[in-house]
Amino acid sequence: MIATNVRRLGLYLILSFAVVSGSIVWWQVVQAQALATRGDNPEVIAARRSLLRGTIFDASGQVLARSQVVEGLSTRTYADPAFTHVIGYSSFRFGSTGVERAFEDLLVGQSDPNPIRQLVNDVLDRQPQPRDLTLTIDRRLQDFAAAQLGSNRGAVVAIDPTSGAVLALVSTPTFDANPISGDPDVAQEPMDALREDSAQPLLSRARQGQYVPGSILKVFTAAAALDAGAITPETTFPDQPRQETEGFVVDGFTIREHDLGGLQPDLWALSEGLQVSSNIYFAHVGLDLGADAFLAAARRLGMCASLEIGPPDRALSVTPSYVTQPVEGDCGPFSGDVELASASFGQGSTLVTPVQMALLAAAIAGDGVMPHPYLVSDVRAHSETDAPADEVLQRFSSRGGTRVISTEAARQVRSAMVDAVNGELGRPYAGQGDVTLYGISNARSAGKTGTAQLGGEQAPHSWFIGFAPAGEEASAAIAVAVLVESGGSGSTNAAPIAGQVMAEYLRLAAGE
Amino acid sequence: MTGDILRVLLLALQLGFVALLYLVMLRFAGSLLKDLRSAEQAQLASRSGIGRLAVLESPEDEPQAGTTIALGPINSIGRNVNNTIYVEDDFVSATHAMLTFRGRSWFVEDQGSTNGTYVNGHRIDRPVALSFGDELTVGRVRMRLDR
Amino acid sequence: MRIAWRGVELRLLLPTLLLVPLGFIVTHVALSGAFEPGPLELALGYVALFVGAHLVLVAFGHRGDQLLLPAVGAMGAVGLVMLNRLPQDLAGTSAFDVELGMAATQLLWFGVGIVAMLAIAIGLRDHGILRHYKYSWAAIGILLLAATLLFGYEVNGARLWIDLGPVSVQPGEFLKIVLVVFLAGYLAETRTLLTSARLRIGFLSIPPLPYFLPMLVLFGAVMLIAVRLNDLGTALLFFGIFLTMLFVATGRRSYVLIGLLLFVAGSFVAYQLFAHVQARVDVWLDPFADPLGAGFQPVRAIYAFGRGGIFGEGLGQGLVTLGGSLTIPFVHTDFIFTAVAEELGLLGAFAVLGFAAVLVFRGLRIAALARDDFGALLVVGLTASLGLQTLIIVGGNTKLIPLTGITLPFVSYGGSSVLASFVMVGLLLAVSHRSAIGTDAEPQP
Repeated sequence: MIATNVRRLGLYLILSFAVVSGSIVWWQVVQAQALATRGDNPEVIAARRSLLRGTIFDASGQVLARSQVVEGLSTRTYADPAFTHVIGYSSFRFGSTGVERAFEDLLVGQSDPNPIRQLVNDVLDRQPQPRDLTLTIDRRLQDFAAAQLGSNRGAVVAIDPTSGAVLALVSTPTFDANPISGDPDVAQEPMDALREDSAQPLLSRARQGQYVPGSILKVFTAAAALDAGAITPETTFPDQPRQETEGFVVDGFTIREHDLGGLQPDLWALSEGLQVSSNIYFAHVGLDLGADAFLAAARRLGMCASLEIGPPDRALSVTPSYVTQPVEGDCGPFSGDVELASASFGQGSTLVTPVQMALLAAAIAGDGVMPHPYLVSDVRAHSETDAPADEVLQRFSSRGGTRVISTEAARQVRSAMVDAVNGELGRPYAGQGDVTLYGISNARSAGKTGTAQLGGEQAPHSWFIGFAPAGEEASAAIAVAVLVESGGSGSTNAAPIAGQVMAEYLRLAAGE
Repeated sequence: MTGDILRVLLLALQLGFVALLYLVMLRFAGSLLKDLRSAEQAQLASRSGIGRLAVLESPEDEPQAGTTIALGPINSIGRNVNNTIYVEDDFVSATHAMLTFRGRSWFVEDQGSTNGTYVNGHRIDRPVALSFGDELTVGRVRMRLDR
Repeated sequence: MRIAWRGVELRLLLPTLLLVPLGFIVTHVALSGAFEPGPLELALGYVALFVGAHLVLVAFGHRGDQLLLPAVGAMGAVGLVMLNRLPQDLAGTSAFDVELGMAATQLLWFGVGIVAMLAIAIGLRDHGILRHYKYSWAAIGILLLAATLLFGYEVNGARLWIDLGPVSVQPGEFLKIVLVVFLAGYLAETRTLLTSARLRIGFLSIPPLPYFLPMLVLFGAVMLIAVRLNDLGTALLFFGIFLTMLFVATGRRSYVLIGLLLFVAGSFVAYQLFAHVQARVDVWLDPFADPLGAGFQPVRAIYAFGRGGIFGEGLGQGLVTLGGSLTIPFVHTDFIFTAVAEELGLLGAFAVLGFAAVLVFRGLRIAALARDDFGALLVVGLTASLGLQTLIIVGGNTKLIPLTGITLPFVSYGGSSVLASFVMVGLLLAVSHRSAIGTDAEPQP
């Protein structure tokens, strides 16, 4: 009967109305946020074009990036190319990167750090208020470090080991962000040029470059073994002196020592082993520690996974470092003792980022506590002038750190690293990293060089990690990692850069 | 500051509009529900009966025009008083037509009458299915099948 | 005739009609930034129209459904508030030396529509007379189509309009009513035969062909010409109406299934044959592939939905302009629902759907209570038309189905659409009046 059929039709219609309602919910609720922030949203682009962006200041209050709205078009000016790999760029054509991206909503004022004020602004539909940012980096140190690298390809990462504040984050070669962020109609050409440049200036080497660490990883091996109780600072290996010349046969593969430069092998303990950077010594240490403990320590120190340079939720990501062949974003198992022994002196399948190595140095300097790095110190009200406003809306401070090795183990490694720079055996290698060479009289450095062998005809990467002051009397103020791509031995290239950067920082800190 | 006051007032107005929109919806929902309840009761009351005949035209006034006749499943129509539906009209045969409900629809069949049975003005010569609203004519009596 | 109070209708109408002046005030404050009511002539005109319609129904003792007029009033209210909020030069009339903006023109058509609705609701004492002329209706339908084919001119690629001096009409809007009347008449007569099918093909049983053929031929003609006129929305609507009425008349799911299979097959063939169909489907599948070209309309609509969120941006506070023009295309016709969703949010969008649902389910109720099969099928067809139009255009706006140019009843701007929708509601009122008085004594002729 018709009435029955009508009732059945009603059921189908209810179903249809429900489906259509669902499709509205999909766009207005589920997808709303994603749509609002889509880069190709013409309204987003149009709105951003006319929106004033906040200024970014360095730690000393100098302008690094600022915007002006001229005839409805917002134009951004970047003061210092040395900061491009930190600040990134905000481009109408290519979107934004770096701090510009991480703090997008605050810079354009779409959100307020204070949730209550945020609600009031939403309710009152107020115009967005741009916010200014202050970096933890002092422009003078950043420029100084960039100048030290000069035309080399490489990176300098400096961190305050106590707070985690990033003091310098340099990546060379860098590029000028102004043409890319400027007029979208002419931005393509400079971008294409950068993309095609064989020197890869768009690569942020400090955060994204993965390099063989070489001998600087011995600091990690020592710390892990001391922490696990596998060795003490006095531990020696009886076969080691003989193996220095004859080679150390592991699973049928002969591990050979690097050129000791006429130095007579001897029965070395940790300090001497680190000073002369003995591969044989650290191969023994690694094998005694064992693969599992080695991997566990690596994970504790933040390797095997991606890192972040905070503050949280607004972080810049750091590519993972690996001590073995990565498997699904984690360090895979060691293929055998040969790989473990090689990793113990920073060869094998090890690949690390400069940021990770700076954190390793900072963990030793901080008595075994690895800081959480961050590079924005506060959010302020927008300043129309060249000086930052007084009104601080949100302050980012140290979030403490994570204990990764015991205090005792850290102190033992620290002592060995002081010897590596200042000791009789170590001085020829790492002595160039000593701050006293660069006008600092009341402090010493600790450190370790690295010469990462790449195989074939390629010149090795030059590394140095260290910190200063390194004496018992004062806690370290700065921890650094310096990488010079194909820079030869660590002692000739990276060590002096690290020493000068640390010295410059101590000078700047004393001057303030 | 005056800008903020205006914004607050505007916000109140906007909320007021949406609130009114939903007040209207609520009223509709209320009416629909009330209606549903009364419809259920009406349905309960009229559950009997599968159809009825509305008498539209009847010159002899038997049955009377304007009345309705409740139908059972099998109905005979004719001038003989033994028919279920007794029709007093000279143009109607003694047993004129059969009106039967078979499962889901009504059928009418002429019983060999002299003047014929008409559905919507057409004379039928075999059983014909009826829809509600169809007009049935026997002799001079015109009736409509209603629900 | 006796006066019959329509209390339910009045109680529902009063808050509903209040929407229009309130909406006008909110819009004016938002757009001007001044706290003052602004011009309210059109709003009051709207209120007067519906109160007038109510009083006329009362005066004539009309006993038709009391929820229809308020539901129409609510949809029209949201529509008029949105149309008033948009730039008035998007559309309008300038006939007889009078310049009318878009909202004013819409109100004028509401007036015409309400008069037509009242005339049908009151004048059509017995809707049964419509069925006697079913072949005349078929002829009229074919004439309407032929006229469109011969004299129609194109808007946005579809040949839908006929120019009649001061006004342009869309014959398709009236064609659907004619189609429904014809199908209702035809199905009321043959539904018993269609139901007692004897021909079996596999698991499907189909009715004897001779009874089915005339309907199929007529419908094939409609579909063919609709596709030839490049009006996919109307074709889809007609097909939906046809299947719905067939289902209600016979209760056979197999007919609907056959119909849907035919539709899928037809769509596939159309996709292969016609470039414009292909383009439209491709845009539907991935509008973001070419957001500034082919995908322009759906992408803009989707972003507008996103901007609206749950609470909307507020009347007069949304609808972003780029370079001085609105970013949503056809915002007063095809995309008016999107504009509602942006400014009134999910809440407003649901309200519009809710009002449409009230209209549809009242229609179904009237059909179930109708005293004759023709009336029931007529109402089912008209209700299906109103409901499917809403579902098709809203679904098109949200990218649930490919977008087709079709109007949202009583909300979209357009004289033909408004007038046709009011005619349909007039018919619903007439049928429900008949059911209501039927319980009492038959009225004297």
